[in-house]
Amino acid sequence: MKKLALISIPLTVALLAYTSYLALMVAPTEQTMGDVQRIFYYHVPSGWVAGLCFFINFVASAVFLWKRSEASDALAAASAEVGVVFCTVLLITGPLWARPVWGIWWTWDARLTTTLVLWLIYVSYLVLRRFAAGGQTQVLAAAFAIFGFADVPIVYMSIRWFRTQHPSPVMGGGENSGLAPAMLHVFLTNLVAFTVLGVLFVVLRYKLQMQEQALESAHAQMALKGVSR
Amino acid sequence: MNAIAFLKAAYIVAWVVYLGYLGRILLRMKRVEEEMKELEQSGSDSSRK
Repeated sequence: MKKLALISIPLTVALLAYTSYLALMVAPTEQTMGDVQRIFYYHVPSGWVAGLCFFINFVASAVFLWKRSEASDALAAASAEVGVVFCTVLLITGPLWARPVWGIWWTWDARLTTTLVLWLIYVSYLVLRRFAAGGQTQVLAAAFAIFGFADVPIVYMSIRWFRTQHPSPVMGGGENSGLAPAMLHVFLTNLVAFTVLGVLFVVLRYKLQMQEQALESAHAQMALKGVSR
Repeated sequence: MNAIAFLKAAYIVAWVVYLGYLGRILLRMKRVEEEMKELEQSGSDSSRK
């Protein structure tokens, strides 16, 4: 694991540095918004990875309820935390983009509100895991995650279902949607780099979760030995 | 603030959050490994007694 981390971390950081260079220096300047539109290359991939992590959390939680395996519970915990990190960046870069373009930091439209609710759901999930007492915490968390995931498709569809301040989908949003080829190339490269970063975080966080679970059971065994003497 | 300042702020915040989170995971992994070693050490010491 250490070897894997030693190789994969510098490679991922280098990949992100390269894609940032593409986004800031190589991608053409958008005509209406100007340079501030380059936030798009961080904002959208962060949202994509957050959604992906919450999907992994949903599947892992369902598997945990079915098989009660510690590994799936650890994967659910890891992916939820990583999802919250990416969702946090999404919620910070959004207002930083909105202020110069819309003239406001925030508006309670369907996309922004459902995204904030999504972030709150998964923060609550992490708080539940961290502070709930008793032996049923994992089961409660898994059930909570399955219901919580219902907000992910609502966030995705909100700009199709409702009239929002947030722009319509750039990809697959109808006849007038789409990106110029030079922008599309940079966007897809950033999407890959952010996905690699997300996977790296989930793998490392999963490993940490498993180590913490092993440590907890080792502590319990030591305590039992002490009692039996 | 001009638009470039918002662009810079967005990129800096993203890098700080991601690198900070990576650092936090690595630090926690190191701590857990150390605690595990200590536990193994104290376990073997008590079994010798």
